[in-house]
Amino acid sequence: MKIRSKRYAAGAVLALVASLGLAGCGSDDSSTAGDSGGGGGGGDATTVTFLPKALGNPYFDTSDAGGKKAVDEFGGTYAEVGPDTIGPDTQVSFIDTAAQQGVNALVVSGNDPQALCDSLNAARDAGTKVVTFDSDVDPTCRDLFINQATAEGIAKVEVDMIAEQIGDSGEVAILSAAANATNQNAWIKIMEQELADNHPDIKLVDTVYGDDDDQTSFDKTAALLSDHPNLKGIISPTTVGIAAAARYLSTSDAKGKVALTGLGTPNQMRDYVEDGTVTEFALWNPGDLGYLAAYAAKALVDGDITGAEGDKFTAGELGDFEVGADATVLLGEPYRFNKDNIADFDF
Amino acid sequence: MSAATTPVLELRDVSKSFGPVVALRSGSLAVGAGSIHALVGENGAGKSTLVKVVAGVYRRDGGEFRLGGQPVDFASTAESKDAGVAVIYQEPTLFPDLSVTENIFMGRMPLGSGRLSGRRIDKGAMHAEATALFQRLGVHIDPRRPALGLSIADQQIIEIAKAISLDARLLIMDEPTAALSGNEVARLFAVARSLRDEGRALVFISHRFDEVFELCDTVTVMRDGSYISTDRVAETTESQIVAKMVGREVGDLFPKTVAEIGEVVLDVQNLETAGEFHGVSFQVRAGEIVGLAGLVGAGRSEIARAVFGVDAYDAGTVTLAGKPVPAHDPRGAIRAGMAFVPEDRRQQGLVIQGSVGKNIASVIRSRISKSGLITAGSEYAAARPWADRLEVKTNALDMKAATMSGGNQQKVVIAKWLATNPKLLIIDEPTRGIDVGTKAEVHRLLSELAGQGLAILMISSELPEVLGMADRVLVVREGQITADIARDDATPENVMAAATRSSEKAS
Amino acid sequence: MSTDLLVEPSRQSAGQRALTTFLRSRELSIAIVLVLIVIAATLKRHTFVFSHDGWRDTLLTPSILLLLAVGQMVVIVTRNVDLSVGSVLGITAYATGKIFIANPDTPVVLVFAAGLLIGAVLGAMNGFLVAFFRVPALVVTLGTMYAFRGYLTHQAGSKRIVAGDIPANFEKLGTQQLLTVPVLTLIGLAVLAVVGYYLHTARGGRELYAIGSDPDAAHLYGLNVGRRVFGAFVLSGALAGLAGVFSVARYATAFAGTGRDLELQAVAAVVIGGVAIFGGSGTVWGAAIGAFLLVTINRALPILGISDFWQGAVVGGLIIGAIVLDRVLSLRRAHQLIEARDVTEEEG
Ligand SMILES: Nc1ncnc2c1ncn2[C@@H]1O[C@H](COP(=O)(O)OP(=O)(O)OP(=O)(O)O)[C@@H](O)[C@H]1O
Ligand SMILES: [Mg+2]
Repeated sequence: MKIRSKRYAAGAVLALVASLGLAGCGSDDSSTAGDSGGGGGGGDATTVTFLPKALGNPYFDTSDAGGKKAVDEFGGTYAEVGPDTIGPDTQVSFIDTAAQQGVNALVVSGNDPQALCDSLNAARDAGTKVVTFDSDVDPTCRDLFINQATAEGIAKVEVDMIAEQIGDSGEVAILSAAANATNQNAWIKIMEQELADNHPDIKLVDTVYGDDDDQTSFDKTAALLSDHPNLKGIISPTTVGIAAAARYLSTSDAKGKVALTGLGTPNQMRDYVEDGTVTEFALWNPGDLGYLAAYAAKALVDGDITGAEGDKFTAGELGDFEVGADATVLLGEPYRFNKDNIADFDF
Repeated sequence: MSAATTPVLELRDVSKSFGPVVALRSGSLAVGAGSIHALVGENGAGKSTLVKVVAGVYRRDGGEFRLGGQPVDFASTAESKDAGVAVIYQEPTLFPDLSVTENIFMGRMPLGSGRLSGRRIDKGAMHAEATALFQRLGVHIDPRRPALGLSIADQQIIEIAKAISLDARLLIMDEPTAALSGNEVARLFAVARSLRDEGRALVFISHRFDEVFELCDTVTVMRDGSYISTDRVAETTESQIVAKMVGREVGDLFPKTVAEIGEVVLDVQNLETAGEFHGVSFQVRAGEIVGLAGLVGAGRSEIARAVFGVDAYDAGTVTLAGKPVPAHDPRGAIRAGMAFVPEDRRQQGLVIQGSVGKNIASVIRSRISKSGLITAGSEYAAARPWADRLEVKTNALDMKAATMSGGNQQKVVIAKWLATNPKLLIIDEPTRGIDVGTKAEVHRLLSELAGQGLAILMISSELPEVLGMADRVLVVREGQITADIARDDATPENVMAAATRSSEKAS
Repeated sequence: MSTDLLVEPSRQSAGQRALTTFLRSRELSIAIVLVLIVIAATLKRHTFVFSHDGWRDTLLTPSILLLLAVGQMVVIVTRNVDLSVGSVLGITAYATGKIFIANPDTPVVLVFAAGLLIGAVLGAMNGFLVAFFRVPALVVTLGTMYAFRGYLTHQAGSKRIVAGDIPANFEKLGTQQLLTVPVLTLIGLAVLAVVGYYLHTARGGRELYAIGSDPDAAHLYGLNVGRRVFGAFVLSGALAGLAGVFSVARYATAFAGTGRDLELQAVAAVVIGGVAIFGGSGTVWGAAIGAFLLVTINRALPILGISDFWQGAVVGGLIIGAIVLDRVLSLRRAHQLIEARDVTEEEG
């Protein structure tokens, strides 16, 4: 399932999740309607409803749990609703219902940048604040977007990790997704620049494409290792690629000799981190993402911020944030997963 | 045993239709044990359809069908086989990729004995049995070679071997001799007689009356899908049978008219293909019918194929009406004005899945096309006169060639080539598998075409046909032309002598 | 023409005959290509074969395609085709993961049996439609290819079976070696041997060839065409199911897209191996070598300095080359056979 991601002019907003194949369609049989209703409109408690792309997806389970934690902290009322399957308009009815119930804020991961706009704007007209996270919708139909990472941030953390793991010198290679994958190609460009500027002793010897397919990525890893006997590290900026590469390395002579890092999910990488094949990899922390989105929603509802550039607010334990251009808030540097923290995550 | 009175096979008023086409109206046939029963009728009379009903290929629409007195109803050929019916179909049905032996034993290959090899095919036993069968038939075919590339005669022999090896109580042979040489026919007859003497029942279909009279004891005539009569062969005559078959008088079988012999049309000089023929030189003039006689396998068909360009040749020249004909280029030959009706019509002459009209019009497509488009209408308009002329028995020109009777398929091929208005017609076995009535018609047609100035090169294994139709007889033996005999001098004796001379033995 | 000479016994002994057949065989020619490629890659980089990883991968990587090619060959030899094997592989791979998630202690043998069974059932669906409803196999299996994949996508959604879901002992099987030969490859070769033996020595095997050689004639012979074709599809499905289990053992992952495009690779391997696409001829050995060749070429090309982007073209060229070669060889063979017949006649 590939959803074409769209890049908005300012802010380099990337629908990363889609390009990484993380978000997915529905689960088995999660109920269609929200388990608990939207929560009453009146009263003091701020009502925040989370609307992920689909229910039953571990990634959104994690992000929404972060949201719930934040809502509980500030004493609001939390709810989660969502469709079983991903589709351009499967979220519309949930938006409409939430607006009718008069919830204070709606936190949405949009399935489609345009299809939701009418419903979202109707909800905003009815007084509901709309915050998007993970996948943005058109900037005209939401109040705020919580961006998980920037291209620069992603490229830099990957280069930093490989440099740390191989002692900042030696041959490295990149195992990417498809040869024409827009996001990966953009990151690779920045990584090349970063390597040239700040890591003169690291030599990028090859870039191969695993097409985001397990077998192809696996076989390309084997090919990389046999093609470059002096290879010291592999960067795979795609969750499929890094898992397949780890799998190959884990049973290979090169295990422990060739470092592997990139973007991955804890569940896919757990075994390889535990058995020492992989030291550290990165992604953002979806829990933090949901947590930040909830606090941002609260700030909007309370009128602390309006979404204008330069607005500031505090998001509980994550600290202070500032609204950037195009009503976007950046979560921060990607999050690094390693032996010490991987057990805390389940997505 | 009451088998003496109960016929092995008994059909009464059996009918079979294919959509609107009634192939079999009311077929009846009773064959007793220890008898060889001839089944004759014109092309399309329904003989093969009747055979296929007995074999379980088709299910009859109506009528009674008894085997050994018991009513039966076969849903598949496997059932008829189990009931002791063996059939040689008119068209050889072999698996080209499999070995000759496997073709014979497919579906019932002998298994080895013993615990380990109990489920394995016993190839040794199978080859040995195939070899024994071929010995009995007196032929040399390597049982291990694939069926691919075998001549129709060899294919037919394998069909025969297959049927004999079934050890059936009823053996049906649908035109088994059409492609066989004299020796092979004699061998087949010997085997058939010995099977008869063992008390089996045999049905023999042929368009050659001499064979019917030589081999069979009883003859059943069919016409238009219906039973006409059954007689003891000893008590009937050829002309009586023919009259019943066609329902009218058949004129002279060889209506040869003397045509004016003109310029040389075909000039072949020193044609040679290593291992097949050499030093072949002859001419065919306008208005002349030249017969190419000789034993099957002497190289006649090979010469014809080389002249037309189907096969390449090593040396020599072919000239048509003064212009050299390119070697190994049948299209060039057609353009130059040659037409070629091949021996193996089913494989080489007919688009079996195409309609009759398409087949007839297929070689004249460029001529009937209007600004590059060929309509079914124009095709059928061009095809119609030829189909009528050859009495192609088909309800509509859009019928598929594959569903026509064997003889009618051959007529379609001839019609197709005549439609090109050629200068030279090469025709290999023009009347094989064609019934008497049409045979006379084909001969009349050839004679008439020659009268209009067409040069005709005719290959035939039927001596009467060669003697009756040819203005000149060329005899081929072992890849060489050994005699050139004018019509008036040609006799069965001198032609056969030239065909077999210096061979170890004359047949 | 003499009439009383007996059929001449072949002058060659059985051993000699087998040797000539082997030397002239199509299988040998692609085996030579395979060996040449391995040699070339090894000369360029000796670790291609002479290293623990290289040796293991050379034998192990083709094992999945090997199973698919063997099943595909049996279907193609009957003048049919099975395009659904990639989807069947995906379903069984995902099911394997699900089984382990439900019960990590499931005995490995049981998982293999489940894979075979699921595959066989899906294959039976294909076989049923092709054999008894006379729908062309291309249409049926193109349909089930999408239908099975759709079902899998519905079941799996974006979820993945990940390494953590797979018990360690099963994961280990993916790379386990017996006398340096990977276990998965050994199983694949055993399957190959059994199927090859059946095709060449059992009645049923020969009937499969007959059916592909001329389906109409097969009906006239009274062969049970429907049952045999059905059986071929069941086998193809079962082997695709087994390949699904292999895939999990090897890659420790499965998702909605597992096995996509493998069906075409399987067909390609079979064609490269000299099996006639219109049925009736070819051997399962050829198909197996074709599978090894296809996989090995993909591994060797980068080493030989041919970029990723050209690899597809090289494989395409190989397929076309194989088909042209087959055409030329079969024309030559037909000619030789015609001549062989004339020779025997003249000798007689
Ligand atoms: N499958 C079929 N579909 C339609 N028509 C058919 C089919 N089979 C036979 N026919 C028609 O039935 C008629 C009888 O054909 P059949 O083959 O029985 O003739 P036959 O007596 O064997 O002739 P021949 O001597 O030429 O072989 C023909 O007109 C033929 O076109
Ligand atoms: Mg007939």
